[in-house]
Amino acid sequence: MPRTHGDSRRDRRKLAVLATGALGLAAALTAAAIAAPDRAIAAPPTHRPGDPSQVIARVPRRDPAEAAARRTLAAAPDRVELAVELAKEDIARYRALSDPRYLGRAQATLARWWTLAEPPPEILLARATIEQAVHQFAAARADLDRLVRLRPGDPQGHLTRAVVATVTGDYAAARDSCQAIAALASPLVVATCEAPLEAIAGRADAAYARLSRLAAAARTGDAGVRGWALTTLAELAWMRGDTDAAMGHLAGTLALDDGDVYARDLYADILLATGRPGDASRLLAGREQIDAHLVRRAIAEHAMRGPGAAPLITEMRARIAAAAERGDRVHLREEARFALAVDGDAARALGLARDNWAVQRELADARLYAEAALAANAPAAAEPVIAWARATGVRDATLDRSLARLARPEVVR
Amino acid sequence: MRAAQLAVLAAVALAAAPAWAHKPSDAQLRLAVDGAAISGRLDVAVRDLDAALGLDGDGDGDVTWAELSRSAPQIADYVERRLTLGGDGAPCPLHLGPGAVTELSDGAYWAIAVSARCPRPPRSLDIEYRLLFDLDAMHRGLVRVAGTTAIVGDGAPVTLLLDRSTPIAAFVRDGIWHIWIGLDHILFLTCLILPAVFQRRTRRWAAADSLGDVCREVFEIVTAFTLAHSITLVISAIGLIALPSRIVETAIALSVVAAALNNLLRTIDARWAVACALGLLHGFGFSSVLIDLGLPSRELVYALLGFNLGVELGQAAIVVALVPVLYAIRATRGYQVLLWGGSAGVALLASVWTCQRWLA
Repeated sequence: MPRTHGDSRRDRRKLAVLATGALGLAAALTAAAIAAPDRAIAAPPTHRPGDPSQVIARVPRRDPAEAAARRTLAAAPDRVELAVELAKEDIARYRALSDPRYLGRAQATLARWWTLAEPPPEILLARATIEQAVHQFAAARADLDRLVRLRPGDPQGHLTRAVVATVTGDYAAARDSCQAIAALASPLVVATCEAPLEAIAGRADAAYARLSRLAAAARTGDAGVRGWALTTLAELAWMRGDTDAAMGHLAGTLALDDGDVYARDLYADILLATGRPGDASRLLAGREQIDAHLVRRAIAEHAMRGPGAAPLITEMRARIAAAAERGDRVHLREEARFALAVDGDAARALGLARDNWAVQRELADARLYAEAALAANAPAAAEPVIAWARATGVRDATLDRSLARLARPEVVR
Repeated sequence: MRAAQLAVLAAVALAAAPAWAHKPSDAQLRLAVDGAAISGRLDVAVRDLDAALGLDGDGDGDVTWAELSRSAPQIADYVERRLTLGGDGAPCPLHLGPGAVTELSDGAYWAIAVSARCPRPPRSLDIEYRLLFDLDAMHRGLVRVAGTTAIVGDGAPVTLLLDRSTPIAAFVRDGIWHIWIGLDHILFLTCLILPAVFQRRTRRWAAADSLGDVCREVFEIVTAFTLAHSITLVISAIGLIALPSRIVETAIALSVVAAALNNLLRTIDARWAVACALGLLHGFGFSSVLIDLGLPSRELVYALLGFNLGVELGQAAIVVALVPVLYAIRATRGYQVLLWGGSAGVALLASVWTCQRWLA
């Protein structure tokens, strides 16, 4: 085809554009070589403050007594009872503030005996408590089994063993431990130990009645024990479907100890489950430095679709990423709930719920697993929970609903 | 038992940190290796440094800038005794630069510039990180080098292989792969090339006479597309422009719709211009692969060259396979079906993609 004058003009234009493109590409590559930000060490920005009196960080105040004790321990590292005392104090601080750094400090204090298979018995309880806190339940159980054999007269060992056994679904061992303290502790303590086991076995009504009676009778006992009893009553009430009573009990626990993380989380969960996200958010406001509170507040705010949701969600994602960086998988349950409620990622939530189930088997874990399987439209994946519910005989309003829906052939999300 | 614990709590006065997250302790060590020179930064929590060195001079629970900056030499000494770098087994003497403050989720960190020089460019980096474990057994050192992260949980040395030998070939392969799995890119290019064998002559459409002319036109289209997407690939990979991926992917899907509709409606004959303009979008789509690698700038250039080359090779393979076939069938009914039906089908498919990607 003969080329016209118009064709050559178009050709020149084409050539001009393509040549410009080629030059542009060369320029871009040169820019990349010279001026590109060095991505490998992209890091948070730094600054040097101008004002010498500006507070950079708040740190725990030094306690001279504790410092002296540590110096003594450093000079005489075999003083087991001193190390255990210091570790117990740090564990108590961890419980009060939910600050995991204290657990690390406690573990470091016990470093000398930490890897021993048969450490001095005094070490066993502290070690088991730390292991339990970071969800190393098998290790904790091994230590506690040894402890109750060596010190059958120590109620704390039996009690901790009962808690760990309950969490991991070994109800026979838990029952043994609760019964072992019958002669060593008050009836209220024994009843609080046994109540969750009775409830899991489908006898929540009887357990609730017995525990209520004993709790009412022990109005002036140890505040810690009473708080624990009230929380247990709340869990049983929720299982029976009586959410108002449950919330009443939890209000009592929080009145005894405002910093009780477990009780506040449970209260928030009930509020979320009964369609009161606003109340849940208010309950947790100002306490977001604790991951368990942050995730529930993020879920609550997300449910309300308010403007307050975005920063909480961003923060939660950052925490999950930070934990993943460290290789920590302590908060699988929270992560799964977040994935389900906020991201709507049922598949991921199901995977996390499954991984969580391999570590712990409380009722909350079963509820989560069933809910995730339902959301992911994967009733077959819920087999382990269905089997567990059948084996235990548990009757729980929330779980029963999820399991009923999973059993229907035309499962709808 | 609880009574004793409560008594202990009352005796300990603790400063609360309401704004910051409670997380276990970790420190971040970021390193980049350029030849025999190592550079980077170590971020350690001020709170952890206080536990190790007692920065809070007046014991009031606050570490001020004065207290912190005054302790800088003490901190540097602490770090120097507990951080050792080596390359291929040979020591790379450490030099610590000035420190500054940075904020992470759990509070203020002290950021120290780290540099080291190895006797020769290392193929593997040995890192012995021993900070804080004696005080906090759950402390972790997070070491980041060349896109990999190592978690150090005790004082044991860790060796990281530096992937010097990521050959250009690997990136070329990546590029070829990415265009072959990029159905949207392939369909875009195919729609533009498809009419090349069926040209407008005065006011009538007819099958082209000359393979030479066809090849010329295809060459122009492919070159325009290549240049356009290469430019945006580079710009986006080096971070000069960052677009949210949802928008990029949707725009790419729209460009495929446009190319297909252009075949049906014959709006623009100079399809090389379409390739040029819309090709800019496609480059943003390719770059996410390279961005995720987090490469330092020198390696990024090699990666870009290799990846881009791969994309072009993959593209060329498709074109070289396609054009002779199209030329051969250009006068047949089959070609008409392909051109009109095919373009309509692509327009439909790409519209579905557009909706999916926008709503993602």
